[in-house]
Amino acid sequence: MSRREGSLEDPQADSSASPLPHLEAKIQQTHSLARLLTKYAEQLLQEYVQHQGDPFGLPGFSPPRLPVADLSDPAPGHAGLPVPERLRLDAAALAALPPLLDVVRRLQGELNPLALRLLGRLEDAARQVRALGAAVEAVLAALGAESRGPRPEPAAAAVAAATASAGVFPAKVLGFRVCGLYLEWVSRTEADLGQLAPGGPA
Amino acid sequence: MYKSWGWSNVRERKEEDEERGEKEWGEDTAVISPQDPTLLIGSSLQATCSVHGDTPGATAEGLYWTLNGRRLPPELSRMLNASTMALALANLNGSRQQSGDNLVCHARDGSILAGSCLYVGLPPEKPFNISCWSRNMKDLTCRWTPGTHGETFLHTNYSLKYKLRWYGQDNTCEEYHTVGPHSCHIPKDLALFTPYEIWVEATNRLGSARSDVLTLDILDVVTTDPPPDVHVSRVGGLEDQLSVRWVSPPALKDFLFQAKYQIRYRVEDSVDWKVVDDVSNQTSCRLAGLKPGTVYFVQVRCNPFGIYGSKKAGIWSEWSHPTAASTPRSERPGPGGGACEPRGGEPSSGPVRRELKQFLGWLKKHAYCSNLSFRLYDQWRAWMQKSHKTRNQVLPDKL
Repeated sequence: MSRREGSLEDPQADSSASPLPHLEAKIQQTHSLARLLTKYAEQLLQEYVQHQGDPFGLPGFSPPRLPVADLSDPAPGHAGLPVPERLRLDAAALAALPPLLDVVRRLQGELNPLALRLLGRLEDAARQVRALGAAVEAVLAALGAESRGPRPEPAAAAVAAATASAGVFPAKVLGFRVCGLYLEWVSRTEADLGQLAPGGPA
Repeated sequence: MYKSWGWSNVRERKEEDEERGEKEWGEDTAVISPQDPTLLIGSSLQATCSVHGDTPGATAEGLYWTLNGRRLPPELSRMLNASTMALALANLNGSRQQSGDNLVCHARDGSILAGSCLYVGLPPEKPFNISCWSRNMKDLTCRWTPGTHGETFLHTNYSLKYKLRWYGQDNTCEEYHTVGPHSCHIPKDLALFTPYEIWVEATNRLGSARSDVLTLDILDVVTTDPPPDVHVSRVGGLEDQLSVRWVSPPALKDFLFQAKYQIRYRVEDSVDWKVVDDVSNQTSCRLAGLKPGTVYFVQVRCNPFGIYGSKKAGIWSEWSHPTAASTPRSERPGPGGGACEPRGGEPSSGPVRRELKQFLGWLKKHAYCSNLSFRLYDQWRAWMQKSHKTRNQVLPDKL
């Protein structure tokens, strides 16, 4: 493996064994998946805002940043971290997204029951991000850089209950926030994997 | 690095939020009352936005409202007190989206303090015009019209209910939108020879309505598949005729004792179909009076009339897939078109042809050799055409 920024060369690795082509293929594949999901996440967000009505679709719409349990935006210093650490954070975020997307799907099922394409996209997103998260974990495992320690139990149910009681507008904002976080994190994952993929930045 | 989805880049917006010192939303901001009200079109709304007093600098001064992203005129607002801004809206229009109109309270700097979704619409009208059909007696599909005005501006739920007339509990149809937005399909467990009662209930946030009850027996609303294996072929050398043959729809073929069929046909480059009615209980027909040397498209459909002794008309199937065939070419101009059994008075039928038809009709009823008669007639016509060509060949010499 050629040296890259944030190289993952492990001096203790047995360089005579050749899992390298397999690992590179795995990274490439996961990178392609992340790129595809980034495109889907953009489409999901566009579809979502259409069904909530203005101001959700207007340029510059900036609702309050509702706290979302288990998940926050990528930190400003994320890009400066070593690649394994970035990927660990990516994997953690990707693991937190599916139950939140499920919550949004349930809320939208009540607010927009006829928006079948939106509901389908939300259901697909939960499934797809699970797959991407698993793929990133596999890359981390292959690099000997798995996530440290158990992850906390998702608090999505609590999020759902709190939002449902707060009213329709907060429910719309929550969905907007979750779809935005989904886009941010798959986009971030694509960028981080791009650092590792063959032909990535030196 | 982050891709735009057409209007705002997530990362850029985040940075702007941080510069502006955007607060996180929670209990420390404001609340709109009423929350998510439901209102009739044309009604008025009085709303308030109350800023929580424990936030430093929290005041209603400078607050403003937007509705679906549009800023509302300041004259509609007034301060009730230091922490509360009121809004008065009159003559409300129907909601723009079914998830509710977004009424938002903004701070002076434009940040969102609170929101409430308005549901403005009409109660549902009574659904009507329910029509149902059963495909091969196996299922039941029903369609209805939602109400004279249709649009309620609110999500309106339609539920098709049915029960056996004399006994049984109410059942609810579960497969909706099968043949349009206001339709439902009941796939199984239907009884024959006993009437069903069917109705539609419409419900939204402003009320509910119920249609009149339709009573029917499944056997009276049966339809079936189009006849399969439709074949169209020439009748020997006859240039103005085509023979059409088909098979009874297999799903009901053991029951179609009185089935009716209809045939329609058109010239290849025309959109006008000619329909042959009353093709009763037979699986072949001859089209006559056609143009020579012309491609025709032909379709057949079936009405399972009288199934299991039902007295009702039955419901026509869909048309079969078009089948094409061409009539033989001729040098002399052919007639304009005709029907399976040419009717009296058709302009293309002369008096001789009419009389011949009547004769043949009488023969069919009274003679044992009616089929022979038709064959003889066809042979005679072919001979007539041949002898006409021979006379034409002779004529130029005479000229």
